[in-house]
Amino acid sequence: MGGRAIVVTSGKGGVGKTTATANLGLGLAREDRKVVMIDGDIGLRNLDLIMGLENRIVYHLLDVVRGRCQVRQALIKDKRFPNLSLLPASQVDQKEDISPEQMRDLTAQLKEDFDFVLIDCPAGIEQGFRNAIAGANEAILITTPEVSPVRDADRVIGLLQQSIGDPRLIINRMNPEMVKKEQMLNQSDVLEILAVPLLGIVPEDEEVVIAGNSGAPVVLNERSRSGQAYRRIVQRILGEDVPIPELNGNVGFIQRLGKLFFGR
Amino acid sequence: MAWTFVQKLFGAKGSKGEAKNRLQVVLVYDRLGLSADQMDALRKDIMETISRHISIDPEGVKIDFQHEHSLPEVVINAPVRRRAAS
Ligand SMILES: Nc1ncnc2c1ncn2[C@@H]1O[C@H](COP(=O)(O)OP(=O)(O)OP(=O)(O)O)[C@@H](O)[C@H]1O
Ligand SMILES: [Mg+2]
Repeated sequence: MGGRAIVVTSGKGGVGKTTATANLGLGLAREDRKVVMIDGDIGLRNLDLIMGLENRIVYHLLDVVRGRCQVRQALIKDKRFPNLSLLPASQVDQKEDISPEQMRDLTAQLKEDFDFVLIDCPAGIEQGFRNAIAGANEAILITTPEVSPVRDADRVIGLLQQSIGDPRLIINRMNPEMVKKEQMLNQSDVLEILAVPLLGIVPEDEEVVIAGNSGAPVVLNERSRSGQAYRRIVQRILGEDVPIPELNGNVGFIQRLGKLFFGR
Repeated sequence: MAWTFVQKLFGAKGSKGEAKNRLQVVLVYDRLGLSADQMDALRKDIMETISRHISIDPEGVKIDFQHEHSLPEVVINAPVRRRAAS
């Protein structure tokens, strides 16, 4: 019972899991939910940095698991939202130093106190992945519209279906100009291939890089397009029926001609 | 074909069609998750089954997976041997 534990996965590395976890955590906190984010990337922690909370870490996930401190001692409260906390990863340990059973217990414990437990999964499908998904009841899958990330996403869907079930998909770094020129897979291509429900589309946006510099994720930036995309995704996670606009640029003359004469 | 040409002519068609098709094909393999041993066993069974009815070149049997008409399919090629003149 209690809160919802959601793992943010991808298979392929570097497609935006940590960025998404930070933005969804802040976004849900903005909506007055009690949220804790777990950095599941033991040995390569980054969520603290993206959140701007790196200077305040005292204890970490493995200290909790090893009984060196209480969970609440390890939680870092976000100054912007007192209802948002981060449980940082250890930077010196390895993924093998914690087991799926330990992650499951920890997640269960946190679910009693929080509405949302968001788990930032490391890249890959090995032990770090198995740990991150162990305690989750829902999964969000991030991909970019490129061949390798989509292929790896498909592999992760297969693995998730054996435990959690179908993940909900976020397509990240969509570039409307490239989609318009048919140089990039569009939303329906990716959905046709992966066949899982769509949670949202986040455009390619340099604001994400700028946000990383200062530790203030884009969801807090009212003017940023990717921030808006994340705010809409938050609404959908909360069960609201917010439409998903297609980021296709304008359909060009030749494409329209094709539809007219050739039906495609 | 004609349509591809028109698109090429106007420079409208990017490479995403190729990306999509290559992904669909590779995912047919990935999703089946067949090991090399399983592929060998499949090849052997197919060879034996066909050879019981027609004479084929066992070395030439090819098994391919593809994605056509929105469906994953397995394509088996087996060169038929000419009956030797008696
Ligand atoms: N929508 C976006 N627009 C532009 N850049 C983005 C976007 N989303 C993420 N990025 C950039 O992509 C990079 C990787 O992002 P991130 O660290 O969140 O990925 P990850 O999946 O957590 O990586 P890893 O697998 O290493 O943990 C970062 O430099 C980030 O700034
Ligand atoms: Mg990460």
